[in-house]
Amino acid sequence: MKTRGRMIIFFILGLGAMAFMLPVVLIFLTAFKPDSEIIHFYGIFPRSWTLENFREILGNPEEIPIFRWFLNSVFISFMVTTLVLLVDSLAAYGLARLHLPGKKWAFTMIVATLMIPGQIFLVPVYLILNRLGWLDTPLAIIIPAGAGAFGVFLLHQFFLGIPRDLEDAANIDGCSRLGIYRHIIIPLSKPALSTLGIFTFLGSWNDFIGPLVFLDSVDKYTLPVGVALFQTSYFAEYGLTLSACVICTAPALLVFLLFQRHIIKGISLTGLKE
Amino acid sequence: MNKKNALYRYSGYLFLLPYLALFGAFLIAPLCYGLGLSFFDWEMISPFPPKFINLGNYEEALKSPYFWRALWATIRFVIMIVPSVVSGALLIAVLINNVSPKRESFFRAAYFFPTIISISVAGILWRWFYNTEFGLFNSYLEHVGIRIHWLSEVKWAMKSIVLMTLWWTLGGAMVVLLAGLKQIPDQYYEAAAIDGAGAFHRFFHITLPLLRPVLLFVIVMSIIASFQVFGQTFMITRGGPELSTRVLVQYIYETAFSNYRMGYGAAMSWLLFLVIAVFSLVQFRMMKER
Amino acid sequence: MRRLGNIITSIHILLCVFLLVGCDLGRQPKISIRFWNGFTGPDGRTMLKIVKKFNRENPDIRVLMQRMDWGVYYNKLFVAGIGNRAPEVFIIHAGNIERFMQANFIRTIDDLVASENGIDARDFSENIWSAVEKNGRHYGLPLDVHIIGMYYNRALFRKAGIVDEKGEPKPPKTREEFLDALSRLTKDADGDGQTKTWGFVLTWYLTNLYSLMCQWEGKFFTPDNDRCLLNCPKNVEALQFCVDLIRKYKFAPPPENFDSWIGFRQGKVGIAFEGIYMLADLERQKDLDFAGAPLPVLGKVPAAWADSHILCLKTGLEDKKLDAAWRFMKYLSDNSLDWAEGGQVPVRSSLRNTERFRNMKIQWEFARQIPYIRYVPRVPFIFEFGLEFHVGVEKALRGTLSPRQALDEAAENVDKVIERRKKMIEENRKPRP
Repeated sequence: MKTRGRMIIFFILGLGAMAFMLPVVLIFLTAFKPDSEIIHFYGIFPRSWTLENFREILGNPEEIPIFRWFLNSVFISFMVTTLVLLVDSLAAYGLARLHLPGKKWAFTMIVATLMIPGQIFLVPVYLILNRLGWLDTPLAIIIPAGAGAFGVFLLHQFFLGIPRDLEDAANIDGCSRLGIYRHIIIPLSKPALSTLGIFTFLGSWNDFIGPLVFLDSVDKYTLPVGVALFQTSYFAEYGLTLSACVICTAPALLVFLLFQRHIIKGISLTGLKE
Repeated sequence: MNKKNALYRYSGYLFLLPYLALFGAFLIAPLCYGLGLSFFDWEMISPFPPKFINLGNYEEALKSPYFWRALWATIRFVIMIVPSVVSGALLIAVLINNVSPKRESFFRAAYFFPTIISISVAGILWRWFYNTEFGLFNSYLEHVGIRIHWLSEVKWAMKSIVLMTLWWTLGGAMVVLLAGLKQIPDQYYEAAAIDGAGAFHRFFHITLPLLRPVLLFVIVMSIIASFQVFGQTFMITRGGPELSTRVLVQYIYETAFSNYRMGYGAAMSWLLFLVIAVFSLVQFRMMKER
Repeated sequence: MRRLGNIITSIHILLCVFLLVGCDLGRQPKISIRFWNGFTGPDGRTMLKIVKKFNRENPDIRVLMQRMDWGVYYNKLFVAGIGNRAPEVFIIHAGNIERFMQANFIRTIDDLVASENGIDARDFSENIWSAVEKNGRHYGLPLDVHIIGMYYNRALFRKAGIVDEKGEPKPPKTREEFLDALSRLTKDADGDGQTKTWGFVLTWYLTNLYSLMCQWEGKFFTPDNDRCLLNCPKNVEALQFCVDLIRKYKFAPPPENFDSWIGFRQGKVGIAFEGIYMLADLERQKDLDFAGAPLPVLGKVPAAWADSHILCLKTGLEDKKLDAAWRFMKYLSDNSLDWAEGGQVPVRSSLRNTERFRNMKIQWEFARQIPYIRYVPRVPFIFEFGLEFHVGVEKALRGTLSPRQALDEAAENVDKVIERRKKMIEENRKPRP
């Protein structure tokens, strides 16, 4: 390609990239401004850098148990991810590879649930969880998360793409279906699994409505719900909210940067195996 | 022999068992509850017990101006966002596909970045951006004498939501399309170059046709997700001004949780599902045919 | 391999969490009381301090406070009610109490108030105490009253010359003084057609317009709540006045939803009407010189919107829990001056007549309006009413509809809600087949 063409492309992309990243950079910078200054908006960079917002959030464990929220988020996201990976991969394998009567119907039904607005589930699930006695415990968030269809859909598409010969060979050697699953399918699916894992983790980390409705105690809250405590109905304590946002987003950012390649490879695969 | 085979086959369902147990308990059961509920007139926390009214809720919804206005707000949103996200994502994907691999990684990350931010953080952020008094946009536009009432004027409010959603979701779509582009073998492009085909010709006659399956996937997923928009409007405009951005899911949420009319809310949710299913199917058919 | 590592890590984390949680377990058996409210932000932190103090001074009781944003709070409270998980003590706004009363969700407290460890009911202002009364019984303990009042920017007042003999800023008391002040405050300093300083800005429509409509002596419902009278001529007049402020006099900017308050905080607006609860927000604005005063009488009579946080008890509590819960409620009430520091007004006159309260200047000014505060109409469909009210006012202020048309439309829609409820009551009275 011509150099000039390349330069133009690079320029356009660069401009766009800046526009996309600017908001995030802004959160980070604004968290360092004192409240009085945020109201006036003197510019992107703080006139007077201050750590008062962070100090107020981090230094007040009695009223703002932010480390607790952080731990809760880590624990819950972790468990959700493990659950989903386990359960969904088994189901996806069954649907993709095994000869099950009626599996086409099962699969269609599972995928159709993706189209249903989530609000329908809120109250019934609450009542079920109440009956089970799981409300206000991490179980209320973790277990229902395993019912989502997205993971099954994604892994199903990917498993379809694994060459059958390997499985057939293993079969001939007398390997059980479970064995094939363990020794062939799973190892070959590392990219898809890590992708699903990251998606699930991020989704769970950012989940707001679930923890809000199913958890009662402030010290059981996850990070997004805790951060919402800075927004009252009347106004928002902008400085505190934004610095809490920084604390909330930083881990997600880290996970993303570390596993960037896997995520992006993974999403692409969902599109391809249409 | 037959019996053994059947047993063998059905035992395969054991693989699905853990998932189906969760699916049944936390998806199907609530769904049935929701479906059943839609046939009742029930006000939570009221002295009146639930009353079976057949299709009464559905009738009320279809006759209610609020329902149609909310549906229309949602459709306006879908019509604005889906083409812009898809074409924007396509454009960026094509551009990124044409830069050196080193830079590619960086740009991919940059555009995907907003997608990992949670809706509450994104909502707070953009509400601040759009603030007429001290928001980012107006503070800079002031220098050129422009002052836009991003969130408080009917003609701007929904567009502001669309812009924010574009920023938030373009990355996801872009990355899928990029992968689709990478799948197209170079030979096609080389052959076209030899024949003297220009960039536009290559795009419309090679790229697009070969990208169609992936494009279809992106469009349909986009439609499904956009119809369920709620977080953005709830956090940024709360449905205002003058209810112009009160999308259907927000209306359902308010009906069920602020007016406590659970049955009515459930019925509207099913109506929304029907709308989504219809739109998705139409899109599917349209693109499959060509 | 990785899976094993995962399992180990999970167990590890589980243990840690358990440890952190477990710290609280294994103490002497305490009566535990759950206390829910919607106090987020600085309010929440103030209340938390009081709760902790109570826990320290009453070692046999443990109050667990749980808070979340008001919007979700009510939803959660209801859903918890269905699942029979309602907390022992919770806060409701006086404006919403009707629905809870009708649903038998809360316990009356007359017996507790009259008991040995009770409170002198006469200590409550008449209109506040009757806000929680139905059929002679009282359904909750008012904790505070948050009243709307006038905040004004002293620096701008001085600059505009709106001062008294001593040179101190003079807040307006009548309509003439109000309009006069606004004309002097609204400035276009550099003559570029863009008003730089506004005299006035409308904030939350419900509170602002409700106060004004009451000042014009307007009505909202027929006495039996059978029909909505939102579009009565006096209300239209009040709304017209606000529209004129924007369009005719141009003392106020066109409506900005809930962001108009920001203008006042930035020091660009002379006067704003808002609730006492905004005090904490204003105090964070270190470069703002502001003060508070009662609303000026823009209509015929003085009136100011108010709402209260009511402490309510779940029904069905017995002996020990009931006793503990009541002790907690009484404690909060007795210590409501602590609560007032955060920007509230105590409802007990004995507490208001103290030196300490007098020193809370702005609260004290706002509290002067107590004799004529007005709660919103007590109807179970208050949410629908509020929504129609808001949309109607919004349309009039923007000029989409005339005040008359806007209120007509709103009243019509509320009437539909009333109709539906009436039908429901009728249906339920019918004998079952």
